[in-house]
Amino acid sequence: MEAHNRDLYLYKRLNARVLGVSMDDPMTNKFFAESLALEFPIVSNVLGWMAKSYGSYSDKPPFGPDGSINTFGRRTVVIDKKGIVRHLKNGSPDNEEILQLLLKLEKEFRGLK
Amino acid sequence: MKQKMKFTGILGTAAAVVAMIGILAGCATMGEKAKPTMVPTERGTVLFLDKYEFKRPPQNWALMKNLEGGDFELGFMLIERGAFPSQTTFMYDDQPYGGSQDLETRAKYYCTRFLFNSGIDLRVTKQEKVTLDGKDAIALSLEGENPNRDEKAKSKVYLVKKGNRIISFVCTQWRPMNGTYAQEPFDYFETFVQSFKFLKKDFYETLEEDLTKAGL
Repeated sequence: MEAHNRDLYLYKRLNARVLGVSMDDPMTNKFFAESLALEFPIVSNVLGWMAKSYGSYSDKPPFGPDGSINTFGRRTVVIDKKGIVRHLKNGSPDNEEILQLLLKLEKEFRGLK
Repeated sequence: MKQKMKFTGILGTAAAVVAMIGILAGCATMGEKAKPTMVPTERGTVLFLDKYEFKRPPQNWALMKNLEGGDFELGFMLIERGAFPSQTTFMYDDQPYGGSQDLETRAKYYCTRFLFNSGIDLRVTKQEKVTLDGKDAIALSLEGENPNRDEKAKSKVYLVKKGNRIISFVCTQWRPMNGTYAQEPFDYFETFVQSFKFLKKDFYETLEEDLTKAGL
């Protein structure tokens, strides 16, 4: 999240926007965002339908030793201007990879080589 | 004759095997010889992976490098005499905590995150604006203790404006609560920082050039 925050000025130049999605409730997300001084929105999706829609399943067992739910995992999704999913990657995001992809998509959108 | 032929055949096979090993060994040494991470220069500095040049600390400092991304780019560690934890580490970190491009704002936020997980009650003992290699920077001196773990730490941090981004140099010395801090490791850190040069454009500088070329 901090890495995305650091790169916001580049996302802006690339005409891209960042949206975080969490199964935590809005108040928890609010404190989380404030603690990291995040300058992009975090969406609260408590029932997890967005995670399910984007196939963001965890590679861990469905329940942790303490009974906590591990149903969904971290996944980066890049959606283009036409609403087409152009990139999916599990685990921690690779910002350099994402920025290069966004540059490619923006050039593609503008008809540049 | 038959026996002689057989003998020659074994020798021939052995020679072929030896020749093959020789060729393979040659391939291995010619093709896979790893380039040293640090190459000394006549200037008393080292070239690190052809990316950076700096004066390294003495050989008893272990190199810490992170080639797969992570919390720092490269660093050095010295295990010192004395009870645990007596050690000093320093590093170049190209992505310090926080996202602000403003040095003052970044420094304020950085101090809320730095060594947070250690449980050290950290305080800034000195903060000043400085210049490093012509770049605007903020130098932070920090100290703190964690009596529950019988540990204390003293740090020096440089947050440096590099283009549109902020990079950092960080040195932390750990001691048990009754330990005494040593100045010499911090002197090596200062030498490292003052001599540090970037030999190549980094990913972000290259990307920003590409963005400008693309009219973005």
